[in-house]
Amino acid sequence: MSDRDGPGLSVRLDAVTKIYSVSGEELPALRGISLSILAGESVAIVGSSGSGKSTLLHLMGLLDRPSSGAVFYDNRRVDALSPSERAILRNRSVGFVFQNFQLIPRTTALENVELPLLYRRIPARERRERARDLLASVGMGDRERHTSSQLSGGQQQRVAIARAIAASPGLLLADEPTGNLDSRSAATILDLLLSLQSRYSTTLVLVTHDMEVARHARTIFRVRDGLPEDPR
Amino acid sequence: MTLVILGMRSLLRNPYRSLLTSLGILIGVLSVVVLTGIAFGAKSLVLRSIQNLGPNLLIVIPGSVTDSGAQVGGGTETTLTADDARAIRRQCPDIWNASGALRTAAQVQSPHANWSTVILGAEPSYLPVRDWRLARGGFFGEEDERGMTRVAVLGRIVATRLFGLENPLGKFVQINHSPFRVIGILSSKGQSPMGMNQDDMVVVPLSTLQSQIMGVSYVGVILAAATSPDRIDAAKREIREILRLRHHIPAGGRSDFEIQAMSDISRTANRISLILTVLLALIASISLIVGGVGILNIMLVSVRERTREIGIRMAIGARPRDILVQFLSEAAALSFFGALSGGVGGILFLDGLHLFVGWPIPVPWEGLLLTMAGATLLGILFGLYPAWSASRLDPMEALRYE
Repeated sequence: MSDRDGPGLSVRLDAVTKIYSVSGEELPALRGISLSILAGESVAIVGSSGSGKSTLLHLMGLLDRPSSGAVFYDNRRVDALSPSERAILRNRSVGFVFQNFQLIPRTTALENVELPLLYRRIPARERRERARDLLASVGMGDRERHTSSQLSGGQQQRVAIARAIAASPGLLLADEPTGNLDSRSAATILDLLLSLQSRYSTTLVLVTHDMEVARHARTIFRVRDGLPEDPR
Repeated sequence: MTLVILGMRSLLRNPYRSLLTSLGILIGVLSVVVLTGIAFGAKSLVLRSIQNLGPNLLIVIPGSVTDSGAQVGGGTETTLTADDARAIRRQCPDIWNASGALRTAAQVQSPHANWSTVILGAEPSYLPVRDWRLARGGFFGEEDERGMTRVAVLGRIVATRLFGLENPLGKFVQINHSPFRVIGILSSKGQSPMGMNQDDMVVVPLSTLQSQIMGVSYVGVILAAATSPDRIDAAKREIREILRLRHHIPAGGRSDFEIQAMSDISRTANRISLILTVLLALIASISLIVGGVGILNIMLVSVRERTREIGIRMAIGARPRDILVQFLSEAAALSFFGALSGGVGGILFLDGLHLFVGWPIPVPWEGLLLTMAGATLLGILFGLYPAWSASRLDPMEALRYE
């Protein structure tokens, strides 16, 4: 049913910069970073808060556009696409997991997981079936009808992960996925992410400030003040 | 389609707000439907009472008219006579019958009661001209007219007031202290277009009223019936010629009478009611627009409130168009629901009015559907800007929105 059940997506950033202008003042978040991530690889991007690591992730996920430089998916330039084309690409190729879960309020776990499939125009019955399977696979099969306010942090994050992998993306982006969780839930979530990554051979990019978390990734990339700390 | 359902679902999540928002449109549609319905009803009421008077009827009233057409003191002059009526009756080929008529107010007494009413003096041809029937008894004839007989035909209301359940035929009533024998009872006719109750009246021979009660020789009006509706204009011309000749009015001089055709009056009534309808619809449309602004307002609030949700949807892969469709279908659903319930409410209201007031109020179906479609379109139009601004949000900024 999906376009890509095969190996993940390769991502390349080519000298990207990002400059925010806040009330007339220019604040550089990224000062020029080049980074290449192979398909199926797991990478942890590590840095202190304000280092630009989240911005980097957002550029990779096409949520934002670089001020200069370019982003490539499988050697295809994607940052210059139209908002609509980037939305389609996000839908098909990227799954996001956020620190604060970002489930849609007053909406059930099942409906949240169905969303990416809905925007992909998958028929209702198939959508529902697949969302059920996904929820079950993250251990949330008995919480389908619960809304986010009725779930614990760890449970919300599991729903969010099910949603992120719903459309079988080649690239899984996690922004401090364990940042809002206690250590036990954090360990479960991390295990879940890594096991999914190896099961579907997706590319996994993990942003964290926690070396304990980062250690689980095959490669670690350090960012500091918008620049790579130890360029590879 | 799925996105449309998505829009509905988010409305259901906020049922009170959705209800209040559609209320604006509901009231707008309701007022359009009710006001145009009432205007329609008023129109058919007026037309019906004109019809009631006889569609082929021409009324000749004494007095002249100014150049602009406004009547100045019409009906107060005394230039028309029973001979004029006779001439019209006999000499106009397109007139089927005519009767002079004169009225006054008087106290009428029976042995048990007395009642202040209108005394109408009329010729025997009055009944056929007015297409009026008797409920009981008979009407007076030429001999009564010539002989100035004291006979009276009572209107429905007068008969009940003076005699109750008794049969008044053959009994006597006193008009100005003279006894009149009751020979007939008129059938019920209801209100005249001028608002007079035609059942509250006593009819006596014209000559009797002129000489024995009022002491005058003129008539108040001449009622004439044309042979058919399409001969009305010809009949009007003939009456004008004959009367001008009889009144010795030189060519180019101003007539001392005026001829009104019921068909003209109904045309005027039609035009007035059209203006009324348009005016009322226009006023009601203002409330419809206010309802639309309500939708605009709520949708703007909703977009702002749900900015983060929009950001999440975009991150997951909603295209700008998907967001647009979702919010637009919300606005459309709100206005459609409002329009539908407003329309249904309007019909119920008009039906209720019909039931309690007895007005003939036809439900203006085409207007109703048009109003409902228009209101829905208006809601969509007002929802366009909020939906568009939602679709133009930057996904990153929207996600960070608190």
